[in-house]
Amino acid sequence: MRRLGILVGAAVTYLFAAWMVAPGFYDGFGPPQAYNWTCPPPQAGANVKPSSGHLDIKVINGVSDANSAFTDDGQVVIGFLPGTFDSAGKTTISVDIVPLDSCPKPPGISFVTNVYQITASAPPAKGKTASLTLRYSNLEPDPSDVYRASDPAGPWKSIGRNEQAAPFTVDTRVDSFGYFAAGYPTASPPPGSVTLGGGQTLPIIVAVLIVVVVLAGLPLAIVRRRQGSTPADEEEKG
Amino acid sequence: MLSVLRSHAAARVVAIAAYVLVVEWTRALAIQAPGAAAVIALVLGGAALGVAAVGWPAGRLGLGTSRLGLRLLGGVALGVVLILPAAARSGAAPMLPVGLAVAAVAVSIGEEIAFRGALYAALEDLGGAPAAVVGSTLLWTLAHALSHPPAFLGAVAAAGLLLALWRWACRDLVGPIVGHVIADLAL
Repeated sequence: MRRLGILVGAAVTYLFAAWMVAPGFYDGFGPPQAYNWTCPPPQAGANVKPSSGHLDIKVINGVSDANSAFTDDGQVVIGFLPGTFDSAGKTTISVDIVPLDSCPKPPGISFVTNVYQITASAPPAKGKTASLTLRYSNLEPDPSDVYRASDPAGPWKSIGRNEQAAPFTVDTRVDSFGYFAAGYPTASPPPGSVTLGGGQTLPIIVAVLIVVVVLAGLPLAIVRRRQGSTPADEEEKG
Repeated sequence: MLSVLRSHAAARVVAIAAYVLVVEWTRALAIQAPGAAAVIALVLGGAALGVAAVGWPAGRLGLGTSRLGLRLLGGVALGVVLILPAAARSGAAPMLPVGLAVAAVAVSIGEEIAFRGALYAALEDLGGAPAAVVGSTLLWTLAHALSHPPAFLGAVAAAGLLLALWRWACRDLVGPIVGHVIADLAL
């Protein structure tokens, strides 16, 4: 029973330590830094406002150079290959990424990132695209799509996402600028998440936890008391 | 070299500790690689961690099969405890993208075999259960120093302590493996 008590004490210590930092214990697969929210969800803890980004792209012999614009916090990166822009008559092209200071909630869509406005002083050349990467928090479900709109009020249109991406980022190709965010249709369950009990998660998890710990711990403790040592002890000695 | 490792408990501890730290830090750097390269590097990293257990009998690693049902049930309990803070915060259990899930399983199994298996057994030979619990927890925390911001290391250490205490209290590694896999699949 003493060992069971120590285990319960360690579990309580872990819960306390993990509660101090969102999202708690993770093994390096999640984002290495917290997401900077425009409208932080209640579970986010301390929050820093998201950053903007600016890039001047040189135009050499009438062809825009390759370069990438990104926000200072790295939450948005947009990459351009040579000749991406219609750069007639220009010597440089300015690209700006600015987080919207509000959080639109279009019907039928749940955003899991901030909304960012991306503008450029020249439009993309016909048939050319840029590579857009949005980082998202592991406090939110995996987004199924990147959405684009010409106005934050909508309409928002899915522009899909690439299959292969680094952890907790979503990539897509864009052929025009405007407002961008990653999310998923609310008509379907959030991809990759398991929601428990219609929002009553904590009581259900605590109840399950108590039942499982009792089921797992008591028989082991009883076996140890009756036999003096468990078969595992004997295996280890053996 | 092998005879030194066989006859000196301290040499075994140093060799295993150095090996798992190098593998873990390499893994932390490898996850910066884009797309599939990161997943492949993680799977290989998990397999490399498992190499730390070569030469140890399964029983010494806590990998016995007696009362397997209880061990598995205990692992589920550990997993629930490990993901509880994140699940309570978000109202859902977030899940890794599918590609990363394979890597998460490989790394979590490899880490348990390396830290609570081989390293724990070597430390226990050297200084008994207290040295095994404290030493494996310290090395586990140090191994995550490159992949986690300093603010998270307290939670990492507490998770390592919980898993090591389970290994000590139940003389079992199946539970920590199952719990760690559940936690890594969610986070």
